[in-house]
Amino acid sequence: MNGWSGNLLRINLSTKSAKKESFTEEFAKTWIGGRGFAIKILWDELKPGIDALNPENKLVIALGPIAGIPAPNTGKTVVAAKSPLTGGYGDGNLGTRVTVELRKAGYDAMIIEGKADSPTYLNIVNDKVEILPANEIWGKGTYDTMDWLYKKYGKAAGILTIGQGGENKVLYAVIRSMEGRSGGRPGIGAVMGSKNLKAIVVKGTKDIPMANPAGMKELGAEDLKKVGAIDKKTGWSIQGTTGVLSWCNEVAALPVRNMRKTSHPDAWKIDGERLNNARVATYGCPNCTMRCGIAIHDHEGRESELDYENIGMLGSNLEIFDLPQVASLNYLCDDYGLDTISAGGVLGFYADAVDRGSIEGDFKFGDAERAKELLRMTAYREGVGDFLAGGTMRMAQKIGRNSMDYAMQVKGLEISAYNCKFIPGMALAFATSPIGAHHKESWVIMFEITQTSRESYGREKAQKVIELQRIRGGMFEFIVACRFPWIELGWDLQHYADYFNKITGMNWTLDDFFKVSDRIYALMKFFWVREFPNWDRTRDYPPKAWFDPSNADKEGPIAGKILEWDKFEKLLDSFYEIRGWDKRGIPTKKTALGLGLAEEAAQVEKYSKLE
Amino acid sequence: MKIKVKMIGHFIYEAGFSEKELELEKPITASQLLSFINIQEQRPKIIIRNGRAIALDEELEDGDRIAISPIYSGG
Repeated sequence: MNGWSGNLLRINLSTKSAKKESFTEEFAKTWIGGRGFAIKILWDELKPGIDALNPENKLVIALGPIAGIPAPNTGKTVVAAKSPLTGGYGDGNLGTRVTVELRKAGYDAMIIEGKADSPTYLNIVNDKVEILPANEIWGKGTYDTMDWLYKKYGKAAGILTIGQGGENKVLYAVIRSMEGRSGGRPGIGAVMGSKNLKAIVVKGTKDIPMANPAGMKELGAEDLKKVGAIDKKTGWSIQGTTGVLSWCNEVAALPVRNMRKTSHPDAWKIDGERLNNARVATYGCPNCTMRCGIAIHDHEGRESELDYENIGMLGSNLEIFDLPQVASLNYLCDDYGLDTISAGGVLGFYADAVDRGSIEGDFKFGDAERAKELLRMTAYREGVGDFLAGGTMRMAQKIGRNSMDYAMQVKGLEISAYNCKFIPGMALAFATSPIGAHHKESWVIMFEITQTSRESYGREKAQKVIELQRIRGGMFEFIVACRFPWIELGWDLQHYADYFNKITGMNWTLDDFFKVSDRIYALMKFFWVREFPNWDRTRDYPPKAWFDPSNADKEGPIAGKILEWDKFEKLLDSFYEIRGWDKRGIPTKKTALGLGLAEEAAQVEKYSKLE
Repeated sequence: MKIKVKMIGHFIYEAGFSEKELELEKPITASQLLSFINIQEQRPKIIIRNGRAIALDEELEDGDRIAISPIYSGG
């Protein structure tokens, strides 16, 4: 099989065994890789209803057929499991040398099962798998852990690790790699920690099976140069992802004060221009020529790699407009291995609840020093940290008093840095993201503001959300590559199809990829339905705060405007209709069969009747 | 008339400034503003007037806040 080794590595930490297993060509061509492999494996192998922090959960690390091969932005890997934060399907995607090394070691995926009886790490070199004691690194932050492992295995090793956050099973603990890369927002790091697994080290020396290796080598190298040249010409990476902060501030979409507000006069202090001026280093993923990791010195003088989500959620959302302090909060999240988006959402919600008198506490918006202490307490589940470690949905459940209205999350996952109190299409995107609120699947704000109208709840918005989900949450998540050359620099989507075809020897069109996307989205939904058999559309609703007229901006471009419930319901209906899902948001039998999911549909029917 | 102009992203480096107040003798359109501050029209951009996206031929008014930004796509 070209493009796939056909092998996955199954490691059972309870029995201390490692096994190379093969998968069929049919499996490969149906699910492709990355998120596709992850959802199919988890669907097939997990017993419904398990506790996600139980040894029965499985950690899936999945590459795609173009992953690791030198070409624009192929250095990313998907990590997935049943999420302890949401109880549904959870995954993440991070840049890591593990992508390259795992491919060269001869695997397309890893499945990690069971639980080690004491802290453990894995060292994988081609066919050899060592399950080793991690007592020297357990308890360390991700930076010290990586240093220890680099000293032992060399700086070229691929490493995935968790920090104290994952060890202590903070529900939004992530997996970390390299300088500032992280992924697995819905607690995939906590799943790793629940297995007593501290780190995975990989090195590989085999050739990656390709249909046209010489052709691909030339094309990949040439295209990496071309993308780099476009970046240089447009100047994108001067501010990278952080340029959008100023834009959000202008159009009233910035998360400020637990998304109570949409802009702030001090936002400029933490914007992309300030960040670039303070730059001391630039980092990126393997196989990238437009590196977006802008590192600055934080308040304590440490190097902290920042992107937009970090400054949006740990900065403006907390009304902290001191850039070095925002960098410190980001550093702490990275070291503890906590998702910065959820950490910012949690701290913002906490400050808001205290401010409203719904809960006793001593955290105010703008208090960077207290925020640092709270992050430490969260990572160690100490005192109020144990409460914060549960995420905003659980916090609101405990607080009561209608606090769920302003817990800015969907399905339990905190909303990322776009305040959609008057952006209907983006609110829909957050509502229908398959892992809980995340912008990565679909980002439609520019479309809403320039191509249609901001106040529209028209079908065109649902159409656009789905179009983007097919590409961003679908294609890029299963061939596995970073979408930035395409989405930020206009690198034609067709290039990715070309890489796929050159590597696999197949002849796929973009429509072929989109069909796989739809299949994956339907199965991810079935996974949720199987876990929550009384599934209905209410789990696809954005937080009530975005519909509350008293929460509308008092001044500015959207003064007095807020989302309208009846109109949103119709927009959600449009979304379901276009996808061929019923009014509960569940794929119909007809849709499932059309996507080749007959078996899966029969299974899910035991839990919820399909229409 | 007086307007505030804010440059966002790479346009800061193209225009040579981040934010400034302009005093103009007579009303201008968005398109004319671009020429005035030496921004090439060909580069894809979005022009925001008081928080709303506008077309090139829209006339600006005294007290406006204009931002010129790349066409972001949410990363």
